[in-house]
Amino acid sequence: MAHTVIGGSIVIDGEVTGEEALVIQGTVKGRISLQEQLVVEESGVVEADIETQNVDVSGKVTGNILASEKVEISSGGRMVGDIKAPRILIADGAIFKGNVDMDV
Amino acid sequence: MNESTTVIGERTTINGNLEGDEDLVVHGRIEGGISLKHTLTIEPTGVVVAEVQVRNAVVSGVMAGNITAEDAVHITAQGRMIGDIRAPRVIIVDGASFRGRVDMGDLDMPRASGSAEDVSRPAPVAARRVPQAISTGKGAVQEKDAEKAVAPKPAVKPKPAAKRKPASKPKPAAKSRSTKKQSAPAKSKSKPKKGGSKKKAPAPKAPSVGRRKKARKR
Repeated sequence: MAHTVIGGSIVIDGEVTGEEALVIQGTVKGRISLQEQLVVEESGVVEADIETQNVDVSGKVTGNILASEKVEISSGGRMVGDIKAPRILIADGAIFKGNVDMDV
Repeated sequence: MNESTTVIGERTTINGNLEGDEDLVVHGRIEGGISLKHTLTIEPTGVVVAEVQVRNAVVSGVMAGNITAEDAVHITAQGRMIGDIRAPRVIIVDGASFRGRVDMGDLDMPRASGSAEDVSRPAPVAARRVPQAISTGKGAVQEKDAEKAVAPKPAVKPKPAAKRKPASKPKPAAKSRSTKKQSAPAKSKSKPKKGGSKKKAPAPKAPSVGRRKKARKR
């Protein structure tokens, strides 16, 4: 579990890059660039462009997502932005506004 | 708010400002600024290049930049830091490497210096007085005299007179006796000291002691 957790009271303004899983319970503004999974938990707020492998959105995301594998917006998730990924899942109850591009 | 801890993993880099209300553990890298209301821990693999404002900071990794802490900054044996530290408590452990300034605060300094002065200045004076009395009082007689001089202050006038008399009288007597005995140099050296009731001149001292005892009785 050598992953990164951004706690609920943390606000990051800038760029987060990494080669491991990132869990966001707090706020990240700027840019996120990962090579693994990004989890935006219910308390998480992301105002950033995201580039990663997998994204699981249970919180709020404002920005564009470019995922190499999968983007999932869970039922509590709210997202505004464009998604480009081979697999995109939008659960019942999720709120989403933006473009979806499955590279078809 | 949350009692949770934020962990920056070993392979994660944050470039920018990070602020929050919880503990932060850095295994990875942060460049920019950190502002926390709790503890920042830089693990041995962690690298922080930032201006840091926290309550506590524990540096076991690499820290480049200035730290301002409300409480304490620890640099552990594995820690390496370049930058200035401003905190009321700064702990640098053996093995740690550090280059920079340490400022433990202007607010505490007046208290510390004031108390130190108040305590230290009287202490040395008292210490000086006591040792002097003791050192000069190597002879039991002198110690007794010192005690008397200090204790019975109410009867100040008679005692100094008594002291003067024995002191002055024994000297000429001792000189005359010493000259007679032809051991003049040693005795004369010891006599002018008044405290010269040392080993060399037992004979002249005896009379003076007797006189002093009388003076005490009086």
